[in-house]
Amino acid sequence: MSTPLERGVDMLKSQVDARVESYFSSCTHCGVCAEACLFYTETDDPRYTPIYKTEPLRKVWQQNFTLWGKLSSSLGLSKPITENDLSDWETLVYDGCSMCSRCTMVCPVGIDIAYLIRKVKEGMAAAGFVPEGLQGASQRALKFGSPMGLTTKGLLTAVGQQKKEHDIDIPVDVVGAEYLLMLSSNEVVLYTEFLTAISKIFSAAGISWTVSSKHFEATNTGVQMGDSVIAAQLLERLLEVASELKIKTVISPECGHAYTTFRWDGPNILGRELPFNVVHIMELLDQLRQDGKLKTTGSFDERLTYHDPCNISRRGGVLEQPRNLLNLVAPNFVEMNDNKEMNWCCGGGGGVSSNERAEPLRLQVFNVKKRQLDELDVTTMVTACSNCRTMLEEGLEENEMDVEVVSITELIADHLA
Amino acid sequence: MFEQLVDGVFWNIALIVFFVGVIWRLITVLVLRSKRIDYSVARNSGVSGAVMANIRGFYPRKEVSARIRLQVIAGYMFHLGLFVLLFFAAPHVKFIAQHITGFTYMTIPYWGFIVASEIAFAGLILLWVHRVLNPVTRLISKRSDHIGTILVFVVMLTGCMALGEASSELRVLHRFSVELLMVYFPFSALMHAFMFIPSRAFTGAFLGRRGVNV
Amino acid sequence: MTGIKDKKSARMRKAVYCCVLSLLFVLVAPLIPYVIDAHAEDVTSSKANKPVALQHPGINLWNDVRQRNEVTQGSSQVIGVDSGILINKTGEDWRRFRMQMLMPYGAYFMAATITTIVLFFLLRGKLRLPGGRSGELLCRFSLNQRTAHWFAVGVFWLLGITGLILLYGRFVLIPLLGADGFSITASACKEMHNLIGPLFLLAVLALLVLYIKDNFFNRDDITWITKGGGMFGGHVSAGRFNAGEKTWFWLVMIFGFLLCITGLVLDFSVFGQGREIMALSHVIHGISALILITVSFGHIYLGTIGVEGTLEGMTTGYVDASWAKSHHDFWYEEMSATVEEQQGIKKDVASSSTKPASSPAGD
Ligand code: HEM
Ligand code: SF4
Ligand code: SF4
Repeated sequence: MSTPLERGVDMLKSQVDARVESYFSSCTHCGVCAEACLFYTETDDPRYTPIYKTEPLRKVWQQNFTLWGKLSSSLGLSKPITENDLSDWETLVYDGCSMCSRCTMVCPVGIDIAYLIRKVKEGMAAAGFVPEGLQGASQRALKFGSPMGLTTKGLLTAVGQQKKEHDIDIPVDVVGAEYLLMLSSNEVVLYTEFLTAISKIFSAAGISWTVSSKHFEATNTGVQMGDSVIAAQLLERLLEVASELKIKTVISPECGHAYTTFRWDGPNILGRELPFNVVHIMELLDQLRQDGKLKTTGSFDERLTYHDPCNISRRGGVLEQPRNLLNLVAPNFVEMNDNKEMNWCCGGGGGVSSNERAEPLRLQVFNVKKRQLDELDVTTMVTACSNCRTMLEEGLEENEMDVEVVSITELIADHLA
Repeated sequence: MFEQLVDGVFWNIALIVFFVGVIWRLITVLVLRSKRIDYSVARNSGVSGAVMANIRGFYPRKEVSARIRLQVIAGYMFHLGLFVLLFFAAPHVKFIAQHITGFTYMTIPYWGFIVASEIAFAGLILLWVHRVLNPVTRLISKRSDHIGTILVFVVMLTGCMALGEASSELRVLHRFSVELLMVYFPFSALMHAFMFIPSRAFTGAFLGRRGVNV
Repeated sequence: MTGIKDKKSARMRKAVYCCVLSLLFVLVAPLIPYVIDAHAEDVTSSKANKPVALQHPGINLWNDVRQRNEVTQGSSQVIGVDSGILINKTGEDWRRFRMQMLMPYGAYFMAATITTIVLFFLLRGKLRLPGGRSGELLCRFSLNQRTAHWFAVGVFWLLGITGLILLYGRFVLIPLLGADGFSITASACKEMHNLIGPLFLLAVLALLVLYIKDNFFNRDDITWITKGGGMFGGHVSAGRFNAGEKTWFWLVMIFGFLLCITGLVLDFSVFGQGREIMALSHVIHGISALILITVSFGHIYLGTIGVEGTLEGMTTGYVDASWAKSHHDFWYEEMSATVEEQQGIKKDVASSSTKPASSPAGD
């Protein structure tokens, strides 16, 4: 039986691939990545330097894959990784990194640091160094289907309530529907307007869609923890319902990591292509706009700005669609100073939001968002990720700022012709 | 005796270690590369992303440029200065033609050589001073970063000493330090001189496929 | 705990003494042969100057050649600056100045300064922080300011050491390396000195731009000077920089620029400058260099072992509040007043947090 430490180290070893080899071989330790990371700029603590967070992986690579490293470890000259290291780095990678990948964009030698941090998390998860909050969330996800502990019964209740209150149609378990809408529990419990909004837009556009009562959860705690086994288990559930319902396209809701997981990382976690297409709700709405199926009327005249969710913009490539949609209804839309692929994170990505321990730090790094908003003097902030939305609301409240956070889908639905 | 070794055996060893080492490390990346394919459906071309990232990487993003001005200016001073003096100074062109390639090409005038060296020196000293003073770089720098910097500095300094061509001792010293550098090169962070290309390409392809502006 | 600290500081003190003594030796040693040498020269020259009665037939020609009466300009096929002058009489004046004034007096000056510093240190010891550390840190120098400073230090000493070897090296190094060895060293030093030289202009310009703001003299400086800078006890008030530091700044500026200008004149003889301009430049260059090097001993002393808590301002960028209160109280008040907006003060967490609890780094 191997110890947790050995399992972690073995996992880290297995993570070394061409990109890791190339990245670690080219890092000159120039420190530029720190200047892009909100956890460094807002704390001035050099330990939050992005590449420093990858130390455990770098060390395993150095000792097992490089000539000097192999030589000096065989001579017993290098210190192997200890449990202490892992527990120190647990706070660095889970509390001190929101996987926003802003660092990746500025590295002069082109290192995708977020990719490396994601791999460090695999090692951490294998060795059992995962914050309690995340562990709990993933257990609930496996057991009940959602990290918030929301069961399908809860979903059906919510659906029924919305149907009654707003006199709308929410198709459930329709075999042969073109689109399967996935939801994050946030959108079922907290932001119930989202479901109503979607339903209105879809019925106006005449779209054949459904939600699944068997598996509705779009978020993936396995990805946040960095545990590919759990991530794959949760993904398999999606594949199962999609094939049962003969779905052509899966819609990712307003959730950043759900989108990158379905659209980009999922196929690689599973090691095969997905049997359906994946679109983000904003891609779909923008497509409907282009096809003339989305007609709006009136306008939202408040001064507003758009918060790019990292996973949707920088990691997902959905950059212009939200802007096209906003230009339909919001004449006073202004961009933040750093936007699109260089936006600043809300602070709660990468599982930080489910990690209660990280809350003080998360609120501290929210300062950067506060500064961005102070420059603009807006009353409203639109976003396209319900996790960002919660984080932004908490940060605004903490700083006693009078800015309302709105979902883009809801904004559009409010102005349907 | 030492002079003969430096001009003969040591030089051959250094040349072999350098080329075999560099090629071996690049091949390692390519071999590992063949193991992994991306299963997601690309939005845009990964190849064009890889190419774009390699070009885009040469200028800093405006969102951080104010915070990294020193690194960028000093970095460019050092690398451009070194590039020019290494490949276009008359003594180096002559040496490379004699010992490696067999042909000569355009050279810069002597004053250009001197100016390039001065710029490179200034850049290297600034970069190293910054490495030690900035809490971030001080924390993340490895021994091999410092050794690499110092070796390059020694090579440049001995080269500078030998400028007077007053004695063969100084020339031999310069050449010996170059050989040390060449032997150390493939096993250190100096490999970034080659590895930045695949690194940028990987990241660029990754982002390019996803349709992110690299 | 205190035992270890004492041992450490004792070792530290020993190391510092060793350094100072060896520096002293290196600097004084050149004088010994020089003194002997200078006498020897004096003796021979006084003998050789005895008048000779016999008149040479070509006396006028030779008088012209030797420029007994005035500088003579001839004509030559060679086109170039000063090519019409066969022998330049002023060259001898320059040589004599260099050998008989610059070298010995420069050495006396340096030796005297070092001796004073050592004596002062033995008498007063390190100036401790009154009341110990407060744990509160004030941001004193930005990263750019510190980088400029240590860049200047690096370039300054590369030039200083190579320059001193060119000036005094023959006395120390010929006995050690032999004449051939020294010729190699001298050539190497000359090339380094010439190549690195222009970088000092960059360094001085950077220091000028980044440090000038708080270095203008004002009324408080007079009080500071009349009280002897607090070196002999008593508290003296000062702003961000005291009069001593300001003096050092302006010395660096004045002599630094003089060094750079004259250095460029000497280094790049392509602008039509003749021997006389070159000789003059050399005189100014030598004097300025020796002044800056000598004063820098005092600066280094005060920046390192002289005053506790000063060096960390230049290395980490932060100083302890009690250091600021005792040496730069006006500046401390200014900083405390603006702390709310500027985050000038921070708790001493940086130094503990820069050290990772345990680091797998280190290869
Ligand atoms: C190894 C040698 C040196 C050490 C240890 C050293 C140390 C220091 C320290 C600790 C300070 C900060 C004093 C304060 O907090 O007020 C300082 C300031 C300064 N140093 Fe140095 N220094 C050295 C050599 C030099 C040299 C060679 C130069 C010039 C070429 C120089 C120019 C300056 C200047 C301009 C300042 C700013 C002070 C002012 O503007 O008044 N230093 N140095
Ligand atoms: S920016 Fe890139 S090269 Fe520089 S330290 Fe960070 S990861 Fe390394
Ligand atoms: S991914 Fe974002 S939070 Fe994490 S290290 Fe990079 S910049 Fe910082």
